[in-house]
Amino acid sequence: MIEFDAVFYDGRTSARNAVRVRGYSQTLVIEGAGIRLEVPLAQVRVEPPVSGTRRVLHLPGGAQLQTDDDAALTGLFPRSNPLETWVHGLERRWPYALAAVAVAAVFSWWCVVYGLPLAAKLASGLVPPRIEAKLGEQTLESIDQTICGPTAIDARKQGELRRGFAALTAGLGDGYTYRLELRACKGMGPNAFALPGGAIVLTDDLVKLAENDAQISAVLAHEVGHVRYRHGLRLAIQAAGLAALIAALAGDAVTITGLAVTLPTALLQSGYSREFEDQADSYAFVRLKEIGSSPKYFAQILARIDESRNKGDGANKNGKQSGGAGRDFGYLSTHPATAQRIERALQNQ
Amino acid sequence: MALLEDTKLEQRYPVEFTGSAGEYFRIWIVNLVLTILTLGIYSAWAKVRKKRYFHGHTRIDGDAFEYRGRPIAILKGRLIAVAAVALFYGTANFEPSLLWVLAIVAACAAPWLIVRSMAFNAYSTAYRNIRLRFRGTYLKCFGLLLWIGFILVVTFGLAYPYFKARLMEFVFRNHSYGTTAFELSEVSYFGTYVRAVGLGILLGILLTLLNFAVLGVFGPRSAAGAALATLFAYVGYLYIFCYMRANIANTTWNLVRIGKVRFECALRTDDLFVLYLVNIIAIVATVGLATPWAVIRAMRYRAQKMTVFAADGLESFVAAESAEVSAAGQEIGEMFDFDLSL
Repeated sequence: MIEFDAVFYDGRTSARNAVRVRGYSQTLVIEGAGIRLEVPLAQVRVEPPVSGTRRVLHLPGGAQLQTDDDAALTGLFPRSNPLETWVHGLERRWPYALAAVAVAAVFSWWCVVYGLPLAAKLASGLVPPRIEAKLGEQTLESIDQTICGPTAIDARKQGELRRGFAALTAGLGDGYTYRLELRACKGMGPNAFALPGGAIVLTDDLVKLAENDAQISAVLAHEVGHVRYRHGLRLAIQAAGLAALIAALAGDAVTITGLAVTLPTALLQSGYSREFEDQADSYAFVRLKEIGSSPKYFAQILARIDESRNKGDGANKNGKQSGGAGRDFGYLSTHPATAQRIERALQNQ
Repeated sequence: MALLEDTKLEQRYPVEFTGSAGEYFRIWIVNLVLTILTLGIYSAWAKVRKKRYFHGHTRIDGDAFEYRGRPIAILKGRLIAVAAVALFYGTANFEPSLLWVLAIVAACAAPWLIVRSMAFNAYSTAYRNIRLRFRGTYLKCFGLLLWIGFILVVTFGLAYPYFKARLMEFVFRNHSYGTTAFELSEVSYFGTYVRAVGLGILLGILLTLLNFAVLGVFGPRSAAGAALATLFAYVGYLYIFCYMRANIANTTWNLVRIGKVRFECALRTDDLFVLYLVNIIAIVATVGLATPWAVIRAMRYRAQKMTVFAADGLESFVAAESAEVSAAGQEIGEMFDFDLSL
C-alpha cells in the first residue's frame, strides 16, 4: 500500500478538499472531510510529470486529485505515459541538456551550410520550366511597373547587342529560351540581372559604361550562368527555408527578437548569393573562352563598375536588392570581394 | 447595506510564478532537439510540455493552472496548417492569378480561425479542475471584423483604438470560467494611443537631434553612423511598444470582472522596457541560448504585477459542460502569425 496527501477537486465546483489517499494494487481509496471514494486504478488517468509542477490524476466522472508526491505516483503507476516519462528524465538532467545544446548547434550549422542549399537545389529541380518562366515574367512585369522604363539606346546599337547575345547563347541546348531585355532603370546604375526562365535585363547605364561589346558579353555570360543554375529560384527557396528554420529554432522568442532574427538572415543570404556569384563567374569564364572571347573582359567591366560606384555619384548607385528572383550583378560592390573576382577572372584567361 | 460594500471584504490573492530559468532551459532544449530529430513531429508534444510548464508554475491561492491540450489534437492542427501555408505560398508563387480566390477563402476563414483558436486555448486551460470556455461565434466575429474594417477604411486607420477596444471586448466578454462569464465594462484606449503618438513625436525629435550628433562624430554616410541611427530608432520603437503594452494590459485587466473576482494589473513601462531590452541583448549575445531565461523573467514580472481580489473567495465557481474543441484553428492562426493572445 502507498499513502499520500492530495487535494481533491470534484470537477463541479472550484472548492478544494484536502484528502488522504491510500493506493492498493487495484484501487485508490480517497478519504477527507465528507469524502470517501473508492476508485479502480485502471480508471485513473495520470498526467505526465513536468518539472516542479504538481502531479494531476483524473478520476472517472471528471473529479481530480493533485499532489506533490511524485514518488507515490511513480510507485502506483509505474507504466503510465512511457514517452513523456522518458522525456521528463531527459529534461531533469543537465548532461542531457548540454548534449542537446551540442546537437542543436551542429544541426543548425549543418542546415545553414549544407542542408538548405541542397534542399533548395533539389526542390528547384521539381519546378517545371514553364512555371519558372512564368515566375521570371512576373518579376519583369513588376520591375517594369516600378523602377525600369523603356531603353533609350538607338536601334543600331540595340541590333549590335542582340547579335552579340545571340552568339553567346547559341547552341547551349539547356532548354531555356534566352531573351535580352534592355531597360533604363532609375537608381540602379550600371547593372544586369538574370530572371528565372531566361530573361536577362541589361541597364542602359551598363551599356554606356562598357568600352566595347566584348565587355557586355562577359557580363551577359555571367547572367546566363545564373539562369542555367536556377539561382533565382534557389535563392527564393533558400530564403523561405531559412525563415522557417529560424522561426522553428527561435520559437517563442520571435515576438521580442524580430530584429535579432532579421540580421543573421540578411547575413546568411548574402553568403549564399556570394557562392552563386562565384558559380556564375566560373561559368562565364568557360563560356567566354568557348565563343572565342576572354575572361579578361569580365575583369575589365567589373573594375569599371566598381570604379563608377566608388565615385559615389549618389547613394542610389549602391546597388539594389531585387527580392529573391535574379540576384543582381552589382550586388557585390564590397571591395575585397570584387578584387578577388577580378583576380579570378585574370587567372582564368 | 452600503457599509457592506464588496470591496471591504475582498480577499487579496497575489499571482505567483514559480518557474525557474534552469528548469525551463532543459525543457526548452530537449523540446528543440527532439523536434529536430523527429523532423518536426515532436513539436506538438513540445508545445504541450512548454504550456504545461508555464501553466503548472502559475499559481493563485496555492493552486496551479493546468494545461490539458492533447498533443495529437495539436499535431493534426499543425498538419492542416502546414498544408494551408503550402497552398498559399504555392499559389502566390506559381499561380498568382488565382490569389484572389484564396484571399476570399482566407477572409471567410479568418473569423473561424480566431474563434476556434480561442476556444481551444480556453478549453485547454483549467484551474481547480474547472475549464475556461470561449463561446464567441463565427458570425459575431465575422460581423465585428466587417464593421471594424469598414470603420478603419472610412477613417483612414484613425479608428484603430476603437478597433482594439471592440476586439478586446469581444475576446473577454465571450470567455467564462466554468459557468461564470467574464465581464468587461466599456473600455477605451484613445488616451493611451494619443499619448503614445505624443511620445513617438517626442522621441522622434530626440532621436533626430541624437542622429545629428552621431553624424557629426562619424561623418555623413558612414556605415557606423547609419547603424547607430537604426539602433536608436529600434530602441525608441521598443519604448513605445512597452508603453502600449503596459497601458493596454493595465486598462483592460483592471476593468475585468469574473463574478465577484476582479484584477489589478500594474505593469510599468520603464520596467518592461528594461526587461525586454536586457532580454534582447542576452538572446542575441548567446545566439538564442538565453531565450528560456528571458521568457521566464518576463513571465515572472507579469505575474508579480497581477493581483486577484475576490469578495467571496475562489471556492464557489461552478463548472459547465463543454464539447471537445479542435486545435486546427489555433495552429493555422499561429503559422500565419496572427496570434491574438494578450
